[in-house]
Amino acid sequence: MNAALSYEGISKRFGRIKAVDELSLSVEPGQMAGFLGPNGAGKSTSLFMIPRLVRPDAGAIRIFGEDVWRDYKRAIRSVGVMVETPAFYEYLSGRRNLELAARVLGNVSAQEISEVLERIGLAGRQSDRVVTYSMGMKQRLGVGRAMLGRPRLLVLDEPTNGMDPEGTRELLSFLREKMNQDGLTLFVSSHLMSEIEEYCDTVFVINGGRLVASGRVRDILKPHEQIVRVVFQNRAPALPVFSSWQEIQKVEQVMPDTFEITLASRDSAWLNQKLLEEGFAISSLTPKQRSLKEFFLSITADRTESRERGAPEP
Amino acid sequence: MNSQILPLLKNELAKAVRRKLPWFGLAMIAFLCLLIHMVAEQLSAAAASNGWGYLAFSMQLVFTDLGLIFVLVFSGMLLAEETGTGTIRAALAAPVYRWELYLAKTIAGLVYMTALWIAALIISVALAKTRYGFGAVSDSFGVVYDRATMLKAFLAGSALSMAPLSALVLYGLFISTVVRSAGAAVAVCISSIYLIDFTKHLVHLDAWIFTKYINYPWVVLQQAAQGVDYQWSPEVWRLFGLCGAYCVLMFAGGLTIFVREDLND
Repeated sequence: MNAALSYEGISKRFGRIKAVDELSLSVEPGQMAGFLGPNGAGKSTSLFMIPRLVRPDAGAIRIFGEDVWRDYKRAIRSVGVMVETPAFYEYLSGRRNLELAARVLGNVSAQEISEVLERIGLAGRQSDRVVTYSMGMKQRLGVGRAMLGRPRLLVLDEPTNGMDPEGTRELLSFLREKMNQDGLTLFVSSHLMSEIEEYCDTVFVINGGRLVASGRVRDILKPHEQIVRVVFQNRAPALPVFSSWQEIQKVEQVMPDTFEITLASRDSAWLNQKLLEEGFAISSLTPKQRSLKEFFLSITADRTESRERGAPEP
Repeated sequence: MNSQILPLLKNELAKAVRRKLPWFGLAMIAFLCLLIHMVAEQLSAAAASNGWGYLAFSMQLVFTDLGLIFVLVFSGMLLAEETGTGTIRAALAAPVYRWELYLAKTIAGLVYMTALWIAALIISVALAKTRYGFGAVSDSFGVVYDRATMLKAFLAGSALSMAPLSALVLYGLFISTVVRSAGAAVAVCISSIYLIDFTKHLVHLDAWIFTKYINYPWVVLQQAAQGVDYQWSPEVWRLFGLCGAYCVLMFAGGLTIFVREDLND
């Protein structure tokens, strides 16, 4: 089966700056995939290539197997795109803006427009001019516009930008529901790690124009065997106690009775045994669960450091 | 896949009718026609001679100044406004080729120019009728041009006047493609056209600047209205050649830039 979206060796240069460097990734149908990267990582440039707003120097982008540079109209019919902050004709109403988009798509009924407005929570304001909308409302209208014509793939760039937490949750839950009901595939770029962590199945991390990490969110965030959080019952040991233990790489006291211990070579079972042998009473000992934010920062920091040192990136 | 030019053109027209600026342009044209009606007899002998002369004088004045400005304002904003605000990205994130959008915008510019032209013509005819008739042109020896001849001449002249105005639309759209902000594009359009118009005599480039033909058909028609001998040829061929060349160059240049440029900022 064809991937819903695939980047195949995409590169793009703006003058001396290499914005995207041999980017290859593949989003499977029915997935909700997150696209992460720090500012200037090449995220938006990569997304702009889907509706051919930016022409790649090399490589191909396929949507359900159709190359966007070979048969654009066929390829783009399967995808709804919202790139960067959605822009509208502000002197027109929200509904009129959707009607203009629908006219070009050709297969969208007035009923479908009404349904979309209902689902994005703008039915009550559909006749108001967009200039009167808040940032969050424009964001929702942008998502609504991308959903017209029942696309099989939605590409959304920072869809929850400017939304309050409740609006964010509602929108993402709605998109998740659409995925489950209609088999929709979602490719979402966001800087809000908690959103990606909670809603996405897979994640792609880009930095310096290159894909630096990818995989299933649950695999990336699986418990970290090397970092163990230990809560002591009565007496917490003094930090120097650990300095002679070769198996320990680093110790950090996060609370008076709690330490985060980074193991160099052994696992948490060994640490448990060792602490008991030394006579420490332990209240709990748990391998630390990494957040996506920590993972993202570790990945992007590594790359930034290596770039600054001038080392070649792997 | 079907061409999207018609739906895109409908969108352009739907946007235009909901804006104040195009209506303001039409209102200003009407106001200018009224002003001309008040002063025409003092300014031009042709305008005081008969309905044909009045009409030619009124149309010449409208499109030398205000009409020209509103044609440039509208066409100068067509693309630059969308690029500046970012709506162009949404417009292109659809089953639409860039050339289709560019062509639809070109046609929309031509439609607005025609709307201004028709408004000016209807108002001028109505105002002319309050004072003059549109009959045969005579002098002291009798009829020089009968009504049918004058009507034919006016139809030909009116059609000819569209050629330099079309080149003006395409010039505005070209600037709109190159400059990515509506205000700046309009400023460049108007200032450059006036600069070219004022300096073309000084640098002896009159023969190569299409704006000189904006007046040409109306000046010839004023001669006819006064019973003076007039002829279209051979100047009319230069008009077609020059305006046609400008239209082709501006359209091809603007389209090439628009199709090839990255729209990422």
